[in-house]
Amino acid sequence: MMNLLFICGLCVLFGVTLFQTVLVTKASAVTRRFSLWAMLFATLLFLAFSLDIVLRNISFSFNLYQLTDTLHFSFTVDRLAAYFMMIISLLSTTVCFYSLGYIEHHGSNTGKNFLVAMMSLFILSMLLLVASDNTFSLLFFWETMSITSFLMVIFDYDKADTRKSGLFYFVMTQLSTVCLMFGFIAIYHVTGSFDITAVRGVSQLLKAFIFLSLFVGFGIKAGVMPFHKWLPYAHSASPSNISALMSGVMIKVAIYGLVRYLVFVLTPDRWWGVMILIFGTFSALLGVIYALKEHDIKKLLAYHSIENIGIILTGIGLYLIFQSYGFTDLAILALIGSLFHTLNHALFKSLLFLTTGAVVNETGTRNIEKMGGLLKVMPYTGILFLIGSVSIAALPPFNGFVSELMIFQAFLQSFIISNPFLKILLFLGLSLFALTSALAAACFVKAFGVIFLATPRSEEARKAREVSWYMIAGPAVIAVLCILLGIFSFQIFSSLGFTLPIPNMMIIGLTLVITLGVVWLVRRLFSNRTKRTSETWGCGITSQNSKMEYTASGFSEPILKIFRPIYRTQEKAERTYNDEGKSIFKDAKAEIQTFKLFEERIYLPIVHFVQRFSTYISDLHDVDLDTYILYSFAAVVILILAIGWFV
Amino acid sequence: MLFLIYALLNTVFIILISPLFISLIKKVKAYMQGRHGPPLFQTYYMLSKLLKKETVYSNNTSLIIRITPYINVVCVIVASLFVPVVFIPGMTAGFGNVILFLYLLVCAKFFMALAGLDAGSTFGGMGSSREMTFSAVIEPVIIIVFAALGLLLKTTNIYQMFATSLQSSLLINPSTLLISLSLFIILIVESSRIPVDNPETHLELTMIHEAMLLEYSGPDLAMMEMSHAVKQTLLMAVLINVLFPWGLTASPNVLSVSISIISFIAKGAFLAIAVGIFESLFAKSRLFRLPNLFMLAFFFSFSTILFELLK
Amino acid sequence: MMHIQLLDDITKILFVLVLATAALIITVRTLSSLFNVYAIQSWFIAAVAFVLYLKNGSVVLLLLAILTVISKAFLVPYVMRRIQKSMHMKRDLEFRYLTPVGSILVGTAMIFLVYWSFSRFLPELSSDELFIFGSVIGVSLTLMGMMVIFTRKRMITKILGYLTMENGVLLFSLFIAELPFIIELLIVIDLVMLIVLATVLAFGIDSSIDEFHNKLNSYILWFKE
Repeated sequence: MMNLLFICGLCVLFGVTLFQTVLVTKASAVTRRFSLWAMLFATLLFLAFSLDIVLRNISFSFNLYQLTDTLHFSFTVDRLAAYFMMIISLLSTTVCFYSLGYIEHHGSNTGKNFLVAMMSLFILSMLLLVASDNTFSLLFFWETMSITSFLMVIFDYDKADTRKSGLFYFVMTQLSTVCLMFGFIAIYHVTGSFDITAVRGVSQLLKAFIFLSLFVGFGIKAGVMPFHKWLPYAHSASPSNISALMSGVMIKVAIYGLVRYLVFVLTPDRWWGVMILIFGTFSALLGVIYALKEHDIKKLLAYHSIENIGIILTGIGLYLIFQSYGFTDLAILALIGSLFHTLNHALFKSLLFLTTGAVVNETGTRNIEKMGGLLKVMPYTGILFLIGSVSIAALPPFNGFVSELMIFQAFLQSFIISNPFLKILLFLGLSLFALTSALAAACFVKAFGVIFLATPRSEEARKAREVSWYMIAGPAVIAVLCILLGIFSFQIFSSLGFTLPIPNMMIIGLTLVITLGVVWLVRRLFSNRTKRTSETWGCGITSQNSKMEYTASGFSEPILKIFRPIYRTQEKAERTYNDEGKSIFKDAKAEIQTFKLFEERIYLPIVHFVQRFSTYISDLHDVDLDTYILYSFAAVVILILAIGWFV
Repeated sequence: MLFLIYALLNTVFIILISPLFISLIKKVKAYMQGRHGPPLFQTYYMLSKLLKKETVYSNNTSLIIRITPYINVVCVIVASLFVPVVFIPGMTAGFGNVILFLYLLVCAKFFMALAGLDAGSTFGGMGSSREMTFSAVIEPVIIIVFAALGLLLKTTNIYQMFATSLQSSLLINPSTLLISLSLFIILIVESSRIPVDNPETHLELTMIHEAMLLEYSGPDLAMMEMSHAVKQTLLMAVLINVLFPWGLTASPNVLSVSISIISFIAKGAFLAIAVGIFESLFAKSRLFRLPNLFMLAFFFSFSTILFELLK
Repeated sequence: MMHIQLLDDITKILFVLVLATAALIITVRTLSSLFNVYAIQSWFIAAVAFVLYLKNGSVVLLLLAILTVISKAFLVPYVMRRIQKSMHMKRDLEFRYLTPVGSILVGTAMIFLVYWSFSRFLPELSSDELFIFGSVIGVSLTLMGMMVIFTRKRMITKILGYLTMENGVLLFSLFIAELPFIIELLIVIDLVMLIVLATVLAFGIDSSIDEFHNKLNSYILWFKE
């Protein structure tokens, strides 16, 4: 039965890819629609397959193709892999549904066909990557995933910054593959096989090297600071359904790799947990701080992805620290919280990106300062964005709150650790984590408030209308899931066999609803029921327009001022006067520049160094015949020496 | 069953007593300024007056401003179930979890800030912006205070915290002094008192919380004012029951519950007078000097953790 | 004789209050509040000495308590207030290197640093818990006083920072309770005071460090001619 589901889904997805690529110039909207429905069907099959494995806690093996003696494509799906497959397939289903309406708004016919083809291959490679049980097939599908996502990111390749973002993304993703390869080859060197199974008895140095290379490799793909710089560029340049897939699913695949290797393959040391915790906390804090100053809605959401990856890493770090002390209950709480947050983030980030896509389509701009008042013209999209914002701000009783609660709970119990300095570090991490969470809430008040509330700030915003049914139904499913996962979290975990010390949100939810009913009744009975509408109070001004509203930059200004040492904005103002006494004003120029720490101080110097080095090497090539013969002579001499020495 | 009685009693008592504390603080401030001030039951009169007025909504607003009063009141009432002042019930289904308590209050604040942006006025936007900023900066302090309390009392459930402090007198413990200083500062911040915010004026120069309430009228305004009062009482209750839990009881018979209620009114009145005097001693501080105040609170609570480590 | 545990607890509470006054000295800007906080701090330290006298019975501690109250809680603030009346400024607003927020963060970090290094070797000297506690707080108070000296620009606040340093050293040495040793320690930090005094005598107590640099530069130029 499961065999059938798996193979069926696999074939359909692959078939769609082939179909679309073959017909790439000739296909029309109808064929695209057919392909998307086929993809939807296939992902539903995969969803059923993975849900079955997760709920019944069984495992599934499948050997696809034997390439050589040691290299084969084989898949083993256990509970962890099935959990991630479930995330991938769930999100792909809703994104496919959304794309049915979204894809027609953009670009040329060929481009759209190619996009559908690449989407199908992307989803397929992510699913097979998670299911792989040896590093060869994992790397193979990792590369396929990277290449297809790159091709999808440069969908609007006629814009210069899309090309730049795509190239940046491509370089970073290849870098991650290289680091992963180092780690995998080191493991092969120890165990002698490519299988992903437990590795024991490795020397300390080698273990540290494996851990670091895997951490860097997976970290680059996940968007951990300081390897995160490609994320805002790539996620804002690509079309919204692709951004949803990438931000919601692809970075989780990197988390899957990390968790698989830390939990099942290697035996972690304590300092790994401390390092992951520190990286996670910094990613979370700096991610949300950089998000606060963004006014491009997609870059804002991308920085929030970095923040949430930081939260997930914090949970994993806590798991490692508690596990190394032997407090298994707390360790499991932290790990389950972290994994649950992966699911939640996938859900609400996709929800946010999909609804943002609708908004960006209708208003034609990504700048939130030009939007406003959209809740009245696009009510459904607005409500869905509100549900996404409430989830990401971790407000009860939605799902974002439950996963952050689990991580908070793990943090608060850290007083049982004996080492006082680790305790201090954990409490510091706890306060920074709380700060992150509160700043995320502030950022989404700004985002939702400026986009959807008050009155439109530009002509395009005034002309926006509600989008097609497809683009609402897809996100609506995710929104409903967000609510359900939050309220029934305790029941879900109990049925999966984990009894965790978290509150029963169903009862809390019930209490909230009952109280709401009572309050509504009391108000209806005892208070005046007449309502009327009038103008906003403007201190006496009778004609208010949209210029009186609070802008997004104004909203985030107090926070920017308080955290000024981190932002290091440089403000330059030059004024010219007509007279000596500087009283008659002629002209002025003002410039505000944010200090791009990572770009200017870390990435660009590395790039310049590599450029200089490669220029030097390529200069070595630019010589005449005599020098070439000299090179060959030197190479042969060294070879003879080496043979004599080592044999 | 017992829990239902507790829920009803606790909620009704807190709702009834909160306007009294607000009026008491106003009265103390008036006396310190040499006036008589409004009568003690003025807030009750104001709330009942507001309930009879009609609601006026702005043309620019959407459904957010219509649902926010309900969300505020509901979140604050459910949060009041987490802070026992009549008697301490047994552990039930996650009530009393300190993180849930804090985040219910954050939920109320989130929607209030959203509604501030809804009417499209500059006042509301400014109030929302400042409110979210300062709630973000005070959040680590609140969490560290509760973490330090958890370290001291070895539990993260508010019911158990009160029960433990009832059994062992914390007053002599030096860490309690530091924590109570931090909790006092948090009380001032969250209930928008001087030197953080001026609850008396409605000028944009001196307000954070009041700015967001400008667009409400009638029953909506009554609900928002009441939720503000209840939030203040809840934070006062946390401070009181951690420091001076005597009077509070874990056994639910009529005599101990009445003693508990009367002692809470007395202790709450004392704390309200202290808050009023504190407010009268200071001027509202400049907005960007406020992080200094929060840093002081952070310093105190972090030092508590150090003192615990030194044991 | 009162219960030893109660005395220990009272001492710990006093430590906490001393720490609170230290944090206030770093951040407060109004000069009269600074003097008040300093006076309160001296009261607390005298109280610590008194409680230790009740515990140990060593008369030196009682004398120290009385002396601290007379000199540091009454005399010094009185003199400072007299001086302040003749100065034209009421507040010290300029900060250098560290703002109040940063100072408190650095102060907290320093307390932990001191605790870490002291917890390494102090338990071998004496296992009395109060001793470790007192030394950590005393040395932290000294360091915070030093922080006041280098972050503020006005001379009068620098003098107050020096006085806080002296309080910190006094607190630290109370637990050693041998008079000659206490005097030794106090003399060591007097050296710092010499520099400050020289500036004060040359330029007046209401000067700031910028005026000091300017005048010094002008004197150097004057000598060159």
